[in-house]
Amino acid sequence: MLDTAGPVAIVGAGTAADWAGRLGTVHSVLETTGLTGVITHNPGDMTVSVHAGTPLRALQAEVAEHGQHVSFDAARVAAGATVGGLVATADAGPSALVHGSLRDLVIGTTTLLADGSVVRSGGHVIKNVAGFDVSKLLHGSYGTLGVLCEVVLRLHPIPAAVGTVVVECSLGEAARLAHEVLASQLEPTAVEWLSSGRLLVRIDSTEEALPARLERLIALVGGSVSDPWAEHAELTRGRPGEALLRIGTKPSLLPGLLERLPVGTVTAGLGTGVATVSLPVGSVPEAHAALHAAGGTSVLRTRPVSGLDVPAWGPPPSALPVLRAVKQQFDPDRRLGPGRFDPWEI
Amino acid sequence: MPLDPVARAAITAALPPDEVVDDPVRTRAYECDGLTGYRVRPEIVLIPRDADGVVRAVRACHRNGVPFVARGAGTGLSGGALPVADGVVISLSRLKSIREIDVENRRAVVDPGVTNLEITAAVAQHGLYYAPDPSSQQVCTIGGNVAENSGGAHCLKYGFTTNHVWSLDVVLPDGSLVTLGGDSAEQQGPDLRGVFLGSEGTLGITTSVTVRLLRTPETVRTLLADFPSVAKAGEVVSDIVAAGIVPAAVEMMDTLAIEAAEEAVHAGYTVGTPAALVVELDGPIEQCDSEFAQVKAICDKHGCTRLHIAGSPEERAAIWRGRKAAFAAVGRISPDYFVQDGVVPRTRLAEVLQRIADMGDEAGLRVANVFHAGDGNLHPLVLYSAAAGETERAEELSGAIAELCVELGGSLSGEHGIGTDKACSMPKMFGEEDLAVMHRVREAFDPTGICNPGKVLPTPRLCGERPGKYRAHPLEEAGVIERL
Repeated sequence: MLDTAGPVAIVGAGTAADWAGRLGTVHSVLETTGLTGVITHNPGDMTVSVHAGTPLRALQAEVAEHGQHVSFDAARVAAGATVGGLVATADAGPSALVHGSLRDLVIGTTTLLADGSVVRSGGHVIKNVAGFDVSKLLHGSYGTLGVLCEVVLRLHPIPAAVGTVVVECSLGEAARLAHEVLASQLEPTAVEWLSSGRLLVRIDSTEEALPARLERLIALVGGSVSDPWAEHAELTRGRPGEALLRIGTKPSLLPGLLERLPVGTVTAGLGTGVATVSLPVGSVPEAHAALHAAGGTSVLRTRPVSGLDVPAWGPPPSALPVLRAVKQQFDPDRRLGPGRFDPWEI
Repeated sequence: MPLDPVARAAITAALPPDEVVDDPVRTRAYECDGLTGYRVRPEIVLIPRDADGVVRAVRACHRNGVPFVARGAGTGLSGGALPVADGVVISLSRLKSIREIDVENRRAVVDPGVTNLEITAAVAQHGLYYAPDPSSQQVCTIGGNVAENSGGAHCLKYGFTTNHVWSLDVVLPDGSLVTLGGDSAEQQGPDLRGVFLGSEGTLGITTSVTVRLLRTPETVRTLLADFPSVAKAGEVVSDIVAAGIVPAAVEMMDTLAIEAAEEAVHAGYTVGTPAALVVELDGPIEQCDSEFAQVKAICDKHGCTRLHIAGSPEERAAIWRGRKAAFAAVGRISPDYFVQDGVVPRTRLAEVLQRIADMGDEAGLRVANVFHAGDGNLHPLVLYSAAAGETERAEELSGAIAELCVELGGSLSGEHGIGTDKACSMPKMFGEEDLAVMHRVREAFDPTGICNPGKVLPTPRLCGERPGKYRAHPLEEAGVIERL
């Protein structure tokens, strides 16, 4: 970092290179893919520290030997996304309903700042309130505040048995059924609707309890047991020629918004209020406005060639001055990730 | 520097007279929080009625360059709400409304002065609850929980305050009002809500909190098990974890803590047993049944000498009463005590307990242990007699225990915070560069350094001073709060 001058792009596996604002001109590219491997894993503590350029799938394979995993299932993991990249882009999958996103699973980080400072925050224990939680600022920072070097994660046991009930239904019907499931005490791990017209409800369980839990779930919502998650992952990639938008809102507002917007592919978390949708490039500004009006959020994930100039973000949040002040403190020369938060001018 | 008369006039004029206290007798009531060894009388106490009043109070302080400290119920145990000399305390105690309960989206919008337990009480009729449960939950406020990122006995499975807050309205130290976070887990850019949570009142004042609510579990199973040694009980915890079970809570008490608790509340613990575990599971019935059977088998395997399963909600409450009474109860077996809060990786529990016992022997002091075994969060209670001149030794032992936790790969604090109490220990856990960057975070929010200065990060002035002896908090004397 100190041996270069001018704007720098921080790059992991490149699985989200297009996400958020379009990267401006950079003089250097800092690749993290050389920073790989587990640093410490003590299975009894259920924590692991890892170099940030490690692909999460490689980490999962390693800790799986001990019956553990990071409770995180974003589709991009299968494409080789790095731990640091997943944190920086605030990605999350369907099980965020129960386990949250990486901001909830990361318990410590070591980060390199543009001036060469190295900051550690958090630690190796899940319960820890010492010092400011600087790690949180890196979550969703899209490479604009610092380079994640090491990440400490909380692990969970891999569920002994997993089952998913699939119900063929419209979005409206899915919303009604999701309401029933979430009001019940069946404790689903994920509740997602797909634009192929299917509602997916996943149960993580012990072996002994799974049959009875699935039976009760089917009694409540109908449908049958299958494994539809490959289709889910496919739909989160959108479709060629369209823009892909990640949106978030109160869960109750999500079905109405999806019905009003000219969406193509949809994966919608009916319990989380988070959806990934494709839509024509020309409709992106309208979608940003609709989400903002509903109090929600939206960010562009990928844009087709025809939409290079479409805005990545909607209107800025009220805390924009704080975002700018943080940027000023962490990267006063504005070297890292130019353009990622355009049009906000952070 | 004494408060400038012009500044005093401007600040006291910022709010109506009945929201301003500047009589030295009455401001003394605000001189400490739950860490009563530190006391500083504030010059002015402002008690606004609404968020707009908080904005006006902060603006007045900002314009006049006068430091201010936000205060909730004052139950904090690390001196996070200790006033600044010649400064202002802004009490949030009048912001007490539950603004909205949104059952469909499982969330509630509450004022910062609402107590933790009031939230659950208000939403229970809808089959919902607010998960973080610090043991002062009857009196501690959600605004204070946000500042401290409070945990509780059930955070092993359910997480901390940071995992249960969607968004916050915050008055920044310059008096501007912003929202941090949003309606879903999707955030717009860096997670400012996340860095604010647990910042101990140093980045601004929360005026509204949107909390996440959970559906109440279908069933709860609680057991109390005695073991011939703390090490055996520790092996049980390890085996439960190795079996892939995430209990709602796993608590451990040693013989001294059990003795004190039994004497105080007669909850049915076995006096004289070297260690007792409380294990609680919750969830769908089938799931809970299968896991509970495993937990019982693990207890038996490790030589459990008595297994008591709560057969009714009353019996469950009794087990928890014993556990939660342990702290205050220690007052029955010792004239004075310090409460410590540190964390070690769970696998080092046996080691840390042995080291603590050795250190206690060396200092000639007894240490009782009560802790959240599932997540390695210790609460050693250092017993001493001030009358016998043991205060300084006890204080040194207590501090050494927190620093031992760091040495074993843990943390200075699991839930009580750094505040005033441990700011000077921060260099044991973080390097100079780490602390310098944390300071930059603070500068981003509070460039003029008027918001709860002197807390969390070490300063030379602060680190030259020493705290006084522990004195019971008025609420504690009244039996309303416990030291946990």
